[in-house]
Amino acid sequence: MIMNFEEVKKLVPQRYPFLFIDKVVELEEGKRVVCLKNVSGNEPFFAGHFPEYAIMPGALTLEALAQAAIILFKKSFKQDNNPGAVFLLAGVKASFVKPVFPGDQLFLEIDVEKVVSNAAMVRGIARVGEDTVAKASFTFATADKTSLG
Amino acid sequence: MLNVEDIEKEVTSIVAEVTELDRDEIWKKRDANFFKELEIDSLLALEILALIEKKFKIQIPEEKLVDITSLTATIDMTKSVLAESGRLQEA
Repeated sequence: MIMNFEEVKKLVPQRYPFLFIDKVVELEEGKRVVCLKNVSGNEPFFAGHFPEYAIMPGALTLEALAQAAIILFKKSFKQDNNPGAVFLLAGVKASFVKPVFPGDQLFLEIDVEKVVSNAAMVRGIARVGEDTVAKASFTFATADKTSLG
Repeated sequence: MLNVEDIEKEVTSIVAEVTELDRDEIWKKRDANFFKELEIDSLLALEILALIEKKFKIQIPEEKLVDITSLTATIDMTKSVLAESGRLQEA
């Protein structure tokens, strides 16, 4: 394990019930990260999605991948000196291959395509075991939250 | 070695893909300003840059991002980077 949950919280600004990374299992700064989310039957979103058939919303799998990307970006390009920086997702292309159920271990892999000083393009794969459950590419930018109006 | 025609063709395809415009349409508007006339923002410009890097297997420095202002300017930037790396066939 590269980073535990407490260390993850220092990098990812999201909190319960919207923090979808439990730990970081692989990290190659500037290039790649692999994170783990253990999907429990107790997740609050399962109460509504769906009451009789628990299935993880694909949008939240994408959110989990985006949070993995935040970890990679912050570890690779030290942004800690700007506590006002927020991450803005600007573009997503995604496909969902298989559903995610309670009990699944969701591995979130992010590879960098291109990084500049205030923006990045990454591609991600979410998998359970060896099975790919979702694929996505993200473009995101950092901005100072005071500039957002 | 790449010739000018290959570069024009590939860069036009990349810009068409990112802007979701028809290839012929973007070629007709090749001198139109991306930001003012084609609603391309700086993050789409970054996508264009990344796809050009991937297609031609080159590294383009961040400062070249400001050269992505029209299709013609993007093609010229790509040509100059490829010429610097000795991969552009002289016309």
